[in-house]
Amino acid sequence: MTNAIVQVDNITKQYRGSPQPAVSNLSLKINEGSVFGLLGPNGAGKSTLVMMMCGLLTPDNGSISLLGMNVKNKGAAIRKQVGVAPQEIALFPTLTAYENLFYFGRMYGLDAAVIKERIESYLTTFDLKEKANSRVQTFSGGMKRRLNLIAALLHQPKLIILDEPTSGVDVQSRNVILDFLVELAAKKTTIIYSSHLLTEAERICTHLAILDAGKLIVAGTPGQVMDATPGHENLEQVFLTLTGKNIRD
Amino acid sequence: MATIYKEFLLLVRDPGGMTLLFLMPLALVIVMALVQDAPFRDYQEIKLDVLFADLDHDSLGTRIQQAFHTSPNINLVENNDTAVVNDLVHSGEFKAAIILPADASKTLRQKSNRVINDVLVNAGLVAESPRPVELTGIRITILFDPVIKANYKQVLSAAIEKILTGIQAEWILDELQGQLSENKPGTKKIKPDLSGLITIDQTYASENAATELELNSVQHNVPAWTMFAMFFILYPLAGNYIKEREEGSLLRLRLISGSGLPVVTGKFAFYFGICLLQFVLMILVGIYVMPLIGLKALILGSNITGIIITACSVAIAATGYGTLIAVYFKTPQQALSFGSISVVILSAFGGVWVPVYVMPGVLQQISRFSPLNWGLESFNDLFLRDAETILILPNLLKLIIFGAVTLAASIFINKSRTVS
Repeated sequence: MTNAIVQVDNITKQYRGSPQPAVSNLSLKINEGSVFGLLGPNGAGKSTLVMMMCGLLTPDNGSISLLGMNVKNKGAAIRKQVGVAPQEIALFPTLTAYENLFYFGRMYGLDAAVIKERIESYLTTFDLKEKANSRVQTFSGGMKRRLNLIAALLHQPKLIILDEPTSGVDVQSRNVILDFLVELAAKKTTIIYSSHLLTEAERICTHLAILDAGKLIVAGTPGQVMDATPGHENLEQVFLTLTGKNIRD
Repeated sequence: MATIYKEFLLLVRDPGGMTLLFLMPLALVIVMALVQDAPFRDYQEIKLDVLFADLDHDSLGTRIQQAFHTSPNINLVENNDTAVVNDLVHSGEFKAAIILPADASKTLRQKSNRVINDVLVNAGLVAESPRPVELTGIRITILFDPVIKANYKQVLSAAIEKILTGIQAEWILDELQGQLSENKPGTKKIKPDLSGLITIDQTYASENAATELELNSVQHNVPAWTMFAMFFILYPLAGNYIKEREEGSLLRLRLISGSGLPVVTGKFAFYFGICLLQFVLMILVGIYVMPLIGLKALILGSNITGIIITACSVAIAATGYGTLIAVYFKTPQQALSFGSISVVILSAFGGVWVPVYVMPGVLQQISRFSPLNWGLESFNDLFLRDAETILILPNLLKLIIFGAVTLAASIFINKSRTVS
C-alpha cells in the first residue's frame, strides 16, 4: 500500500462577502509518487485548495496534512519539502536567469555551491544554459515558464504543486516540461498538477480529481474517471458531462 | 543578505530609480539652497539704499548723513527734490526715503533750549527766559514703497530713531553746558563721547560661536531637503514592492518562507542603507559643492556621533514609513500618489520649505507631530547649536519609535494578507 503524501479532510473555505464557499467539505488523498491532476472549470476551487495546501489560506473547517504534517502548525517544515510553481511568472524581470535562481535558492536556505550545481543542471535540462546570464525580461514566454518551473525545483522537494505550468508556451517547450514531469514522477516525486488542459492531464497524470463549485465531483485514476461516466471517448467529454457546458467566469 | 543583494541588483538596473534616489535629491538641494539664499539673507543681511531729502540744509541733516555713513544696513542717497523722491519710491526704484523738513535743526535747537531752560529754572539755577511761541516737535517723514517687507520697515525706522535719539542727547547736553556756562563765565564746553556708554555684544548661544554660525540657506536647506529625499525613499520602495506583488515574485517568496517577514525586513535593511548613502552624499554636497556655487559651506558642528545617530534615526523612520505605504496600498498609483503627497505635507509642516519659526502659531503646534520636524530640529540642534546627543534624544526616540511602529504595522498587514 502506498503512503498518502497529501491528506485533505473535510475542508471548507468561504471568502468574506461571498454567498457560497469556494471549497465545500472536500476530502482528498494523494499518494506518494503520483502525478495528480487537479481539474475543474474557472471558480471550481482549485486555486483556493492549492493556497490552503501551501498554508497561504486557512480553511474554515477541516484539516490538511502534507508529508504527514499538519499544514496549520508545521507550515515552515512542510514548505521546505514542497515546491510551488504559481501560474504567474514569479520571477524578477531585470535579473538574469542565474541571479533569479540563485536568489530563490538562498531563500530556500541552500548553500551557494549546491545552488550553483543545481542551477547548472536544471538550466541544461530545460535548454536554458546559454541564457543563464540574460535578463528574464528578454526571454520568450516558453523560456520564462521553464525558468518558473526550475525555481520551484531548486530545493528538490518531495511534493511539487504546479498551477498551469504550460500556460502560454509553444509545443516544444510544453513537451520539454511534460517529459521532465514524467521523469520526476518516476523518481518518486509527487506532483499536483492544476490545469485546464485535459489532453496534458491525460498524458501525464496517474490520478485525477475534477472539482466544480468547490466540491469534489470525481477522483481516481484516469481509467476510473472514464469508467465513472460511461460512453465517452476522452477526458474532455467526461469533464463537460460532469461540470456542464455553461461558460464560467 | 540575499534580499539585500537582490534589491541592490534591481536598483542598479533601474536608471529611473537611481536618478530619483540620488541625482534628483542632489539637484533639489542645490536648487533650493540657491533659490532660498536671497530670502535667508533678508532675514540676516538687510542692505538697503534709502533716499534722503535734506530740506533743512543745516547741521541736523549733516549729522544724520554722518551717522548713516557707518550703518551696515542702510546707504543714504541724497536727493533734495521731494517730488522726485516721491516718484522714485512710488515707482519702486527705491524702497524708502527720509524727508528732513526745513528748519529742523533750528526747531530742535529751540526745543532743546526750552527743555534745558525748564530744568534749570525748576532747579533755581537760572531765571526763566521769555516764551514767545509754543514750539512743536520736528516731523521727519519716511516714505515706504508699499511692497517693502515688514522687517525692512522695522530696520529702517529703528535705525532713524536710534540716530535721532543720539543727536537729540548730544544737543541737549550741549545746550545744558551753554546755559550753565552763562551762569558761570569761563567754563569751557566739552564734547563728551556718548557712543561707548552702552555696548551690545551680539553672539550665538552656541559653543560653535567662533565659526560664525547662522541659519543661512545652506544650513537650512541641506538637512531639510536631505530628510525630504530620505522620506521619498517610499517612491522606489513602494513601487518595487507593488510591482513584485503584481508580477508574482512576492507570492513565490511567501511560498518559500511562509511569511513576508524576510522580504519586508530585507527590503527595510536595504533601503535603510540607501537612505544613509543619500544622507552622506547630500552632506558632502553641502560641504564641498555649495561653496563652488557661491553659497556658504555647510557646518556640521562637532558632535559627529550625534549626527550619525540622527541620520540612522531619520533613515529608520523614512524606511518604516515607506514600507508601510508599500505594504498597505494595493496599486502603485494609490501608493505613490498618497505617499508622495503625504511626504510633501509632512515636510511642509515639518519646516522643510520654510523654517517653523516663521509659520503661524497653529502650524507651529502641528509641526511638532511631523517626523521631518523631529529630524530637522535634531540637525539644527547639532549643526547650529552644537548640541550634545542627550539634548536631541527625545526627537531621536520619536523617530525610532515611528520607524518601529510603521515597520511592525507593515509586517502585521503583510502577514494578515498572506494567511487569511
